[in-house]
Amino acid sequence: MSTSAQEIDSYIGQKYKDGFVTDVEVDTFPPGLDEQVIAKLSAIKGEPEFMLEYRLKAFRHWQTMTEPNWAQLNIEPIDYQSISYYSAPKKDSDKPQSLDEIDPELLETYKKLGIPLDEQERLAGVAVDAVFDSVSVATTFKGKLKDAGVIFCPISEALQEYPDLVKQYLGTVVPSGDNFFAALNAAVFTDGSFVYIPKGVRCPMELSTYFRINAANTGQFERTLIIADEDSHVSYLEGCTAPMRDENQLHAAVVELVVMDNAEIKYSTVQNWYPGDENGVGGIYNFVTKRAECRGANSKVSWTQVETGSAITWKYPSCVLLGDNSVGEFYSVAVTNNYQQADTGTKMIHIGKNTRSTIISKGISAGRSQNTYRGLVKVAKNATNARNYTQCDSLLVGDKCGAHTFPYVEVKQPSAQVEHEATTSKISEDQLFFCQQRGISAEDAVSMIVNGFCKSVFKELPMEFAVEAQALLGISLEGSVG
Amino acid sequence: MSAVKTISQYPTEYEKFSDALPGQLVSWLRLLRQDAAQHFSAHGFPSLREEEWRYTNVSAIEKKLFSPVATSEIGAVDMDSLKQHLIADAWSVVLVDGHYSASLSNLDGIPESVTVMNMASAVEQRADLLEKYFSQVVDSKEHGFVAFNTAWFSDGLFIHVPAKQVLAKPIQILHIVTQAGFMANTRDIIVLEESAEAKVIETYVGCDDAYCSAAVMEIALEQNADLTLYKLQMEGEKAYHFGGTYVKQARDSRFTHHNFAFGGLLARNDTHTDLGHASACDLNGLYLGVKRQHIDNHTRINHLQPHAISHELYKGVLNQRAKGVFQGRVLVAEQAQKTDSMMNNRNLLLSDDAEADTKPQLEIYADDVKCAHGVTVGQLDEQSVFYLQSRCVDKQTARNMLTFAFANEMVGKIKLPELHDRVLAQLLQRFPQAGIQQDWL
Repeated sequence: MSTSAQEIDSYIGQKYKDGFVTDVEVDTFPPGLDEQVIAKLSAIKGEPEFMLEYRLKAFRHWQTMTEPNWAQLNIEPIDYQSISYYSAPKKDSDKPQSLDEIDPELLETYKKLGIPLDEQERLAGVAVDAVFDSVSVATTFKGKLKDAGVIFCPISEALQEYPDLVKQYLGTVVPSGDNFFAALNAAVFTDGSFVYIPKGVRCPMELSTYFRINAANTGQFERTLIIADEDSHVSYLEGCTAPMRDENQLHAAVVELVVMDNAEIKYSTVQNWYPGDENGVGGIYNFVTKRAECRGANSKVSWTQVETGSAITWKYPSCVLLGDNSVGEFYSVAVTNNYQQADTGTKMIHIGKNTRSTIISKGISAGRSQNTYRGLVKVAKNATNARNYTQCDSLLVGDKCGAHTFPYVEVKQPSAQVEHEATTSKISEDQLFFCQQRGISAEDAVSMIVNGFCKSVFKELPMEFAVEAQALLGISLEGSVG
Repeated sequence: MSAVKTISQYPTEYEKFSDALPGQLVSWLRLLRQDAAQHFSAHGFPSLREEEWRYTNVSAIEKKLFSPVATSEIGAVDMDSLKQHLIADAWSVVLVDGHYSASLSNLDGIPESVTVMNMASAVEQRADLLEKYFSQVVDSKEHGFVAFNTAWFSDGLFIHVPAKQVLAKPIQILHIVTQAGFMANTRDIIVLEESAEAKVIETYVGCDDAYCSAAVMEIALEQNADLTLYKLQMEGEKAYHFGGTYVKQARDSRFTHHNFAFGGLLARNDTHTDLGHASACDLNGLYLGVKRQHIDNHTRINHLQPHAISHELYKGVLNQRAKGVFQGRVLVAEQAQKTDSMMNNRNLLLSDDAEADTKPQLEIYADDVKCAHGVTVGQLDEQSVFYLQSRCVDKQTARNMLTFAFANEMVGKIKLPELHDRVLAQLLQRFPQAGIQQDWL
């Protein structure tokens, strides 16, 4: 298209909007990782004995592992000894009881991020468990959730208050030795969220967590564990922004979802970590292991993700469909620009009978970025009448980027129906021309087309997230395609 | 690349025969063979750990240690038994146990300007021409089978069609293996000069015992050349088959491939093509698996220049305990703008124990392209079966008819009438009653 060169230029000119650093004194470990660091970490957190053993076991296993290199990614070697594995706001020994006690500078940070911590935003009906670096600073709406019987708290708190519950489920979906980054996370995770929805409860509000990497050189390792007991329902939102930093920052999270009979978890993510500058310097390395296990009959898991940030994204939210009639869904929009690299997709493992899964993946690559969809649909021998529909479309903006599709389909059951479709193209010139001919500027037209391209994913997002996602897409593609 | 793989018994076994192999006096070939042998000794046959081989375990070939065939051991084959495999209206070349048989071959009336020569003679008589093409289309280090083939191929065929020559009749290459435990290791090279046109039929047959046939074919199509290649893989049911077809297409050339994989206990086929400016390739495949067959089809289409078109359709029917694998990769290089690529893979699973693994891949570095792929795995449409049953067709016949129709699409693409009828007969043999014509339907 005629405008593409200039679009890319203006694209490259885009600065990261959320780039700022909050000057808060932090209590940080010196860089390095060994068993003593883990023991110290565990002691600071006041964790029960089993947790330390769990961490050490994971760490010992991690030492025997090598980084995965099968992804379509070009990763600078990571020195795991040069990373500090713990960083907490100074006042962690004296946790704030109300908002007034919180460092005003922190509050300012959250304001910039638009996190609804104060009264006015409380009315928005969103409970927020904000993770500032590694320690949770404030939690709201606890009371209301408690009335419903829902447990929503930092996982470090859960380890102290509900150790049996955590012990029962932690590591059962993503075992500590599952993969290199999951093992690392199991060894050193500092915090994260824990959610338990009891039997028959429909969570009264959408749960939301914002993560933020702040101190330089600190890896952030969150651990999220969500359990939806029989007949329950929960919608969980996760969103991230990170300040501008030059060093590559490592982010290795693990998310585990457990879904029992007739329960449903809807997990939505907007990911906007710092992607590095226009020359590919800096940016977050995002290695995430997300997996859901539909253990019960008629259970359902829905992953929705909008990935616009990170220098490197390595993320495959998966569904293990164990229960009969269980349903797995995956909706994804991945946008890459400049030198960003994304290798993302999903795994749908059909084990139970009449299990269904849907995969809708939209990849948009611009600049010199590489965007890869990698997915597995596996139908086990006893998964009669399993059904999968996969659609992955890629849109290319500019002639120096790449879009790749690597689906794997493995079927051992004749009654299964598996369909996969993929297309790759650039924005249709006919469509552009049509819009322009109706008096819509090229920029607006491209924006319309891209929004239309992503619509089937955005409509799966909860209301407020859909707005944020569209805004993010706007920021990412403003000047180039929107 | 695992440590276990470095120990293959084959090199020691095959080194003994090295001196008897063709081309040992041709220095460039000897070096190539040595290099490949070294590579093979270090890596062996591909392992499941290699991404391109993750669904196909070839360790049985290593275990069985198929022996090379010395010229004195070549089995006797009489012409009558070959008749059923040979196309009447074609020039034919017969390779028995990996060695050319002049008495069984028939090249009467082939234009003099066209070279059709067995590889053992060609490496001596046409060494200069051969050097230009040998190991140029596929790197002998591509994987274990290619290295193995380069190191120890015993014979093969060299076809060279000069510029603007159009062959009136197809050339059929019949590979036959006569005895258990044999390894027929052949190398074919086909060169079509500018605007030349040819049709080639490869047929693989063999005895009922376990043997292995490993064939590597390199094809160079110069500007505006046109090649249609039919491959009929009807190996014996205990046979191991590896077939690699590697193509390099120059500007405006056309390559059409019809790949029928019916036989073998373990069969793997590689079809790779590098597309030049505005060239086109059409890859068609049909694999039918029964019993414990494992059939793997691996295709790679590299769009290296602009304006090229590729179409690919592979269909599989898997019954009983058969396993079908399809791996297709389309790569579009940065400069290959205006690429048009379409890949499709359709699998039909007919029994509880059958399995289909499929992996279509798009790797795209250019933006002005139209690329798509599609995959389905499923069973016969119950409503269609019911419809036929409601018309008094019993269930099994109805299923046969529908399966036949599914597969017949690929057979229908064969443009040579005699070959078409032969393959159709093969298909009907597998799905009895499927071809019945009943006017009341």
